[in-house]
Amino acid sequence: MTSLTTIQKHLIGVLMMLVFMAVVPVFVTQRYFLGEIIVFMIWASVAVQWNVLMGHAGVFSLGQMLIFAVGAYTAAMSMTYLGISPWAALPVSAVVAAAAAFVIGLACLRLGPAYVALLTFAISYMVYVLIITDTACYTTVAGGCQRFFGGTTGFSRLEDLGFREMLRGNWIIGNYFTVLVIFTISLVASIIVIHGRLGLAFRALSDSPVYAAARGLNRTRSQLIAFVVTAFFTGLTGAVFAAHFRSTGPSLFDFSTLLFILAMVIVGGLRSTWGPVFGAAMMMILVEVAKGMGDVRNTVIGVVLVLFVLFLPKGIAGLTSRLFNRFGSKPANAQDPASGAV
Amino acid sequence: MDALIQILVSGLTLGAMYALGAVGLALTFGTMRMFNMAHGVFMTIGAYAAFSTVTYFGAPLLVALLMGILAGGVIGALMHLLVVQFMLETEDFEINVLVATAGVGILLQDFLLKVYGGYPFSQPVQVEGIFRIGGVAVTYQSVVILVLATVLISALAWALTRTKFGMAIRATAMNREAAMLMGVRTSRTYLQVLIIAGMLAGAAGILISSLSTLSPEMGQNPAVRAFVICVVAGLGSVTGAGIAAIALGLFEAAIQYYFGVRYGLPLMLALVVVVLIWRPAGLFGTQEVVRS
Repeated sequence: MTSLTTIQKHLIGVLMMLVFMAVVPVFVTQRYFLGEIIVFMIWASVAVQWNVLMGHAGVFSLGQMLIFAVGAYTAAMSMTYLGISPWAALPVSAVVAAAAAFVIGLACLRLGPAYVALLTFAISYMVYVLIITDTACYTTVAGGCQRFFGGTTGFSRLEDLGFREMLRGNWIIGNYFTVLVIFTISLVASIIVIHGRLGLAFRALSDSPVYAAARGLNRTRSQLIAFVVTAFFTGLTGAVFAAHFRSTGPSLFDFSTLLFILAMVIVGGLRSTWGPVFGAAMMMILVEVAKGMGDVRNTVIGVVLVLFVLFLPKGIAGLTSRLFNRFGSKPANAQDPASGAV
Repeated sequence: MDALIQILVSGLTLGAMYALGAVGLALTFGTMRMFNMAHGVFMTIGAYAAFSTVTYFGAPLLVALLMGILAGGVIGALMHLLVVQFMLETEDFEINVLVATAGVGILLQDFLLKVYGGYPFSQPVQVEGIFRIGGVAVTYQSVVILVLATVLISALAWALTRTKFGMAIRATAMNREAAMLMGVRTSRTYLQVLIIAGMLAGAAGILISSLSTLSPEMGQNPAVRAFVICVVAGLGSVTGAGIAAIALGLFEAAIQYYFGVRYGLPLMLALVVVVLIWRPAGLFGTQEVVRS
């Protein structure tokens, strides 16, 4: 089985998902639930990219929310200061996020995995501190002080995507499909990276680092490429986040947000292809259900992280493939060495 | 001259607190290759335990200090017994344990938030008053911080070099298999290491909160600094972490004096990145260089 057909198989999966997600708004009409699904798609896109980076490329970055925030802030700032439309801000933000990742990657990626994790974490914390301690007003917006990087309040009342004029009361449908398109692009990109040449390089590097290096594979360079590519799509998702909510702020840097997305990746299963999508869905549902029991979101995240690492380190994806094996039938893509699971 | 004394005093105070936090972290990584993301929350727990001992039981300061240190040790032991020991032999231990301890961290932080609320308290475990060196006012509290940090770190250095269990810890850090063959019970060594790291973190938490306030997320900032110190020293190098902590404390004090408090952490981090480009294994590290 060639790698081309593997990609095709996954792309058919994407197509099925796209059709399913496209009919959802026909049945789900409450704005609240549509909003929740939009949030799900945004986080799922971030989780998918993080899984490419952490599970496949072996870059244990804890700076993914920083990259996401770079995208969101670039969108917000270019809309506020330069007055460009949200649609133009999307690609600009993605490119800026990729550039930021390139610089961070150059500084970090020569180091071992634990160093990468700590440095990326420290850099995001540093950016957070710089943003919230900024007190000098840059301009005045609507009579209020607007700090250059938003300060503790961030940016709000950004221009919307234009669907409020076009669709009136159903504007959220427009946002829904915009986010769906970006989520799909991100997912397709992750599939191409995982099952394409770059993914092959990472598989070789993790199977036998010495042999792969002897064959001319440059680990740091491959990881840098993966870091920049995933940052591009993470930043794009961040920009659409800012455009959907018409605001952004330093709460993106919250430790709990970072762990919420990390939990999606871990619950879904590191090194899988589709795991993070299901992980994201599970975490969203779990937190939604937990809302009924009071303010227990962070407790749920903590418990889930610990339990999954202890008992199901390969996540849902690992569990389903184990179940398939037990009952003797092959999972749909058992021949696919890259996915290892779903 | 006054500027120099001022920088020296606040730099050494900062450095001593950072050292307390960083040394425990470095010891854990050096011995078990485990990076404890909950380290910052251990500090917070130590601080709150000392606070509660004074506020609710009216105990003397020394008892409160001991209770805080003890609480750090207990939470370290619990984390080993309930979580870490089951993961030791798994593949991807380094990543998994980072994720799991991060989960423990957010769990404990949320717990503290539920129990004490988000309102910032002031730490009662501290010594009031100032005296002057030249024209510089020095608080007694910074003297307490310096003395306590020196005592605790010396005690750790003595234990690691002179006692049997300390030598077992160092042997495990050097070569786990060989240590096991020599009769070291490594799982017990790991437990001891986490208890020691927790106790040091608890002490660091009390001291840090005495300079600012108590809040459930107070541990995050010093923990990030401890991470950075461990990275720049070379992960796992305990002596290196101590030296780097003092050096970075002085550097940060100088930056804060000349540029403002806001730039302390960012410039410190910039320095660290420069150091790492020059020496990827850290200043005192020996391994961890990734070739190709």
